[in-house]
Amino acid sequence: MDHRYVLSVLIADRIGILSAITAGVTDLGANIEGISQTVVQGYFTVIMTVALPRAVGEDDIRHAILSRFCGDEAAVLVRPYIPRARRPVEGDRYILTMSGKDQPGILKTLTGYLTEKKINVEDLFFRIVGEQVTHIGEVTVPVRLDLKQVQDELRAVMAAFALVISLQHENLFRATNEVDSIRRLLKT
Amino acid sequence: MYRTDDILHTVRMLQQENLDLRTVTMGINLLDCAGRDMAAVAKDVRAKIARKAGNLVRICDQLTTKYGLPIINKRIAVSPASQLLEGHAPEAALDLAHALDQAAAEVGVDLIGGFTALVHKGMTPGERLLIESLPQVLSRTRRLCASVNIGTTKAGMNVDAVLLVSETLLKIAEATKKAHGFGCAKLVVFANAAEDNPFMAGAFLGHGEPECVINVGVSGPGVVKRAIERLVEQDPRCTLDEIAEEIKHTAFRVTRTGELIGREVAEKLGVQFGVLDLSLAPTPRVGDSVGEIYQAMGVKVIGAPGTTAAVALLNDAVKKGGAFASSSVGGLSGAFIPVMEDHVLAKAVADGTLTLERLEAMTAVCSVGLDMILVPGDISSVTLSGIIMDEAAIGIYNQKTTAVRLIPAPGKKVGEKIDFGGLFGSGTVMPVNSSSGSADFVRHGGHIPAPIQSLRN
Repeated sequence: MDHRYVLSVLIADRIGILSAITAGVTDLGANIEGISQTVVQGYFTVIMTVALPRAVGEDDIRHAILSRFCGDEAAVLVRPYIPRARRPVEGDRYILTMSGKDQPGILKTLTGYLTEKKINVEDLFFRIVGEQVTHIGEVTVPVRLDLKQVQDELRAVMAAFALVISLQHENLFRATNEVDSIRRLLKT
Repeated sequence: MYRTDDILHTVRMLQQENLDLRTVTMGINLLDCAGRDMAAVAKDVRAKIARKAGNLVRICDQLTTKYGLPIINKRIAVSPASQLLEGHAPEAALDLAHALDQAAAEVGVDLIGGFTALVHKGMTPGERLLIESLPQVLSRTRRLCASVNIGTTKAGMNVDAVLLVSETLLKIAEATKKAHGFGCAKLVVFANAAEDNPFMAGAFLGHGEPECVINVGVSGPGVVKRAIERLVEQDPRCTLDEIAEEIKHTAFRVTRTGELIGREVAEKLGVQFGVLDLSLAPTPRVGDSVGEIYQAMGVKVIGAPGTTAAVALLNDAVKKGGAFASSSVGGLSGAFIPVMEDHVLAKAVADGTLTLERLEAMTAVCSVGLDMILVPGDISSVTLSGIIMDEAAIGIYNQKTTAVRLIPAPGKKVGEKIDFGGLFGSGTVMPVNSSSGSADFVRHGGHIPAPIQSLRN
């Protein structure tokens, strides 16, 4: 039986980081099953799930990765992987966009509202150009919620920030950016 | 995982470039409502429309919320009403018209099309009755739209029908004199009418169509204009084939939004999805103009030499982008040039740069025809017939749809302005050159034979 772990690494970005991490876990005999990596303002972060044919201590995995880096260059977190029986929220995926002047408190207010409504954030990032910020999030809206009410409440809660906000079903973005037939797109 | 730029591109089309779904039009076949007693027919018509379209507006509003894509108009197109008038007395036409008008109001749609007669090869008593009733019908109803098909490539042109329709147009103008002849804006005279066109005023449900169907009309001239402007800003020396390519890509995205909504509306209503008509249909709003597209392409004075080529490029690129986006593209699909409904075209007419002759040339390569054009109130019916025949000839001999929506404005002369308000816009009365010079030709009447292109078997 495979032994599964989830691990994440945070480190200032440079060439060769992913190579070092994957070499560290592969040399332990691990197979990488899932991975997501990004760089935010010069900082590299990755989250991955791995499967090992034998039980290995979490510290051993951590050290296998850290040994590939200098001193305290990298921060590594390793946990046993617990399979989720279901997604945190059953619902449809929506794309949330907010754009306007950047100011403190936008994300705190937004995520506070989303948590209150049990809307799950699955991906969130923003881009700043000058003083203008554009937030883009992928969220799952529970089916029990009235979408119009959510859109109205969201705009009301965020009104103090004077942002242009939209919350639109992901199929609109799939339709305009993918080439697969709409009929097939609606089925998946 | 979506690319940031792709998401922002889609959001920008909606928030800044006026992308919308211009119309979701439900086609309903009313043939099973036919009968000898018009009171019973009218009752059945209202009941059937309520049964089929009762939830149309609610479902469309739900999807507007879901996708953030405005559905501007929800409409109904019925099978040609002349079929329900066969064997009836003249007064039955108004009773039927009132029933359709009331049914549209009851289900909350703004327009209902299909007060239609297809007379390209000949005319039945019911079709004659319908045409002759139009002055009364269009002056006493609010939501009802009418159309008459007077020619096809297969059948040729019914000139007798053209003469009758032209006389009727003058009577409609007179009957709606207080509104400057507005009734004429609700009548389209077609050649090669599309049976699945979702756009008003010419929408009706053709003979080959299903019992009930959802057809969708997508617009978005503002999106196309901005795409061209961005391209030209980035590379002022870009070539026309690069502009055509940009239009094609933009048309692809716009078309896809329409099919997405159309299919979902149809599924929720439990009816068949028909076609998606990607037609760049302007409104009088700035930023929602087809004329602005030509200006972005470099035709700064609409009507100047080169304008027709610009229309051809745009119309073709829109069709190609749409055809790749969906296998359900139908209707008219291309670029409309309704003069009064487009502030740039309306200004070009007022400035005298866009003439009837230039418009006629443009209609040979656009998706429809001479649309929303004000002519002097004292125009003769034979002159109107001549204009309609010219336009129909373009359609019949080039195997395309052409339409004429002419408004003889009672008491108004060349250069005078009229404002219909709302989506119908405003405009200037246009001159018609050598207006009586072809009267003898037109008065011959009869039938112009089908062109050689019709013999294809």
